[in-house]
Amino acid sequence: MRKIVLFHIIMLLSVSSLIAGGYQVRLQGQRQTGIGLIGTSLFGDASSLFYNPAGLSRINGKYSFSAGMSAIMNSVGFRLNNTYNTVYNDNPVGTPLYFYGSAMVTNDLGFGIGVYTPYGTTAVWGDDWIGAQLIQDLSLQAVFIQPTLSCKFGDLLSIGAGFVIVTGGVELSKAIPYNSPEVMGQTNLQGSTSAYGYNLGLLLTPGKKWSIGANYRSEVTMSLEEGDAVFTVPASIPEQLIPRENTFNAELPLPANLDFGISYQATDKLLLAAEVNYVFWDVYDSLKFEFSKNPAMLNSSNPRKYSNTLIPRIGAEYKFSDIVTGRIGFYYDPTPTNDQYFTPETPSLTTYAFTLGLSVYPIENFAIELSYLHLETQQETKSYVPDNFTGDYKSRTLIPGVGLRYNF
Amino acid sequence: MKIKNLTYLVILAFLFSCKPELDEVTLSSGNVDFSKYVAIGNSLTAGFTDGELFYTGQQNSYPSILAQQMKPAGGGDFKQPMMMDEYGFGRRLVLDATIQMPVLAGLELNPQNFASIAGQGPFNNLGVPGAKSFHLVHGAESFSLANPYYKRFAAQPGTSTILAEAIAQNPTFFTCWIGSNDVLGYALAGGAADSITSNEVFQMSLGILLQEITANGAKGAIANITDLEPLPYFSFMNTQLPYNGLPITLPEQAAALNAGYAQLNAIIKSFGSNDTLAFALGQNPFVIADKDLPWGIRQMKSGELFLLTLPIDSIMNHGYGSMVPIPDKYVLTTSELANINNAIAGYNQIIAAYAAQFDLAYVDMNTLLNQVATEGITIDGVNFTSTFVTGNTFSLDGIHLTGKASAIAANEFIKAINLKYGSDLLEVSPLFYTGITYR
Repeated sequence: MRKIVLFHIIMLLSVSSLIAGGYQVRLQGQRQTGIGLIGTSLFGDASSLFYNPAGLSRINGKYSFSAGMSAIMNSVGFRLNNTYNTVYNDNPVGTPLYFYGSAMVTNDLGFGIGVYTPYGTTAVWGDDWIGAQLIQDLSLQAVFIQPTLSCKFGDLLSIGAGFVIVTGGVELSKAIPYNSPEVMGQTNLQGSTSAYGYNLGLLLTPGKKWSIGANYRSEVTMSLEEGDAVFTVPASIPEQLIPRENTFNAELPLPANLDFGISYQATDKLLLAAEVNYVFWDVYDSLKFEFSKNPAMLNSSNPRKYSNTLIPRIGAEYKFSDIVTGRIGFYYDPTPTNDQYFTPETPSLTTYAFTLGLSVYPIENFAIELSYLHLETQQETKSYVPDNFTGDYKSRTLIPGVGLRYNF
Repeated sequence: MKIKNLTYLVILAFLFSCKPELDEVTLSSGNVDFSKYVAIGNSLTAGFTDGELFYTGQQNSYPSILAQQMKPAGGGDFKQPMMMDEYGFGRRLVLDATIQMPVLAGLELNPQNFASIAGQGPFNNLGVPGAKSFHLVHGAESFSLANPYYKRFAAQPGTSTILAEAIAQNPTFFTCWIGSNDVLGYALAGGAADSITSNEVFQMSLGILLQEITANGAKGAIANITDLEPLPYFSFMNTQLPYNGLPITLPEQAAALNAGYAQLNAIIKSFGSNDTLAFALGQNPFVIADKDLPWGIRQMKSGELFLLTLPIDSIMNHGYGSMVPIPDKYVLTTSELANINNAIAGYNQIIAAYAAQFDLAYVDMNTLLNQVATEGITIDGVNFTSTFVTGNTFSLDGIHLTGKASAIAANEFIKAINLKYGSDLLEVSPLFYTGITYR
């Protein structure tokens, strides 16, 4: 009997085929999305909860609420080595969302709480596609809850800290090479878990024009324990060889992020901003599966060998009038993946992105916000060497977003 | 203003056409035209596997794979006479993983599989399971009526021939892989029935085929025939039960057998032969029937082969191979094997000569298969050996190729075609073709 040597799991927060940068998404605010996903040096409303907790003590007014969502429309084309036709994934639209509320408790102390879903998406390649033994579909939900405290010291410095509680769930299907004329062998894995982390920030505002921010979001380890595994195989396959029901453990690290940003109010109307995000991806070396039944045959360790990445961003915000503010941004997001261990469940390629944003204020301090993020990649050849799976990939993602922001 | 609008439109179209386009693949076809490809051959060409012709097997046929790989080099449509389901005429085998034996898939037959689909033709894949060399050409019109696999897609059963149907499509390119059935019928009967096509008939039939199909300038590739001994149908049983696999553990048993055959041995001696039967403690050669001997019985010799159909139960429980000679139809004797091997060598000489004469790409399948049988080969992590079931090469019927092996057969054609005609066809990976199917 053939040994099942490869099991790939979705990264818990792997919004496969999503916005490059491995499996991390940064759509936690419409203003920030519109300005190149820059946020570390910005402040004024509750969305700082995610981008730089130090900003929560510098909101405009006493209370701030911010909520929004984006629609992720992604298409990845794949062409297997030595073939001539391109196949495309068939993802439904992903909809990450956020809700933040914060208040100035005293003049110097801000407190906020936020709920955001950076990874609510489903990646679908299909049951019959050429890479079915690597992945057929995967679905991911994770909710982050972050109570946050921030303190300012005069006009110059503020700091902030948030505690992050993550609850997440994942489901994935892939084909296994045990078929009957009627039944395609398949494994379906399902699990959920909670995890914890923290979010630290620092903000410097020397003078009215400059703002310098630093933000550190900790690594979060998602440990799936006693997840459910269901194996569909032909009836004559002995139960001892492939148990039909099994449980599994797997662990997925979500990397830490260290961000530095700077913004400059060039004129009354024009704000310029730049930022770098350093993502500690090398913590993701391999994905291991351990099964409770028949571990000798089913367990696997699947190399990923990600590398740290540095993402540079620039953006600008222009106040056209009291009622309308526009934004534009660009960034370059190199892939953390390894050319030799690249899997179609997370086909994240080096990405070139631009953004547009718009805020409309029907009344003062209340904004309806729109953003648009566009991601392009080049066509690249990647392999997953353990499976001899090599081919060309290319990705495009369109992400409109809408949100509301209210300070009072 | 107009150019500006156009630019905006182009940008908008770029932005909102969600699917990213990959670069187009175009390959050189060298000095051959792949636009109309016709495949001629027998069960191997049709995609017969696991004991039957059925949908997925046909999708994995080497001509189907070739046609796919020809597409970016100017290849056209490739129609095959598809069965409606995974069971064909009902003899599909699957592996029962509990008992580790091939069993019939055993589902209800779909009568649609027997109905004529001639109306969907003409078909590019003219491979017919069971076709011998002389069945392809003029004079074999009755074959299109007598062979049920051909009857269901022949334009006019009783009148059609494979050669005529090939020429009617004005092919620009063809592949030809024929000759296995010319010996296989005899081999499958253990040499007890059927007959091996003579070299003369083979040469004449193949000559007519190639002459007529190339008459209008069609180019092509021709493959030689593989030896039969590596096929599990002929090699597997001996791994379970060698020629001298009759164990005698008690002296009384040996004495009883020797006594039983004493009279026969006397007769044998009286003919002046020393080929008597003798039994001792330990391993003994099985007793087999041999129609070449006047007395019809002897013990098996090293190198002789059992067929996959050998009834082990009868050996264990009913005295086959000791008190009762194993019938001829389960054994290939030295002389029968010699007949087979001589025939194959003869056909292969004819094929090689025709390849040169008609300027065709020459595919040496025999060397490839012998390599698989002796050392094994590994491609993209798939290990191909001639082991039954687990060898990745031969399907559950012990004769025909698995989907994965069909892929490497297609690659052999591709290599030969590229070499001969300067084309750039790309090879496929066996990883993405079927192996074993289970019950």
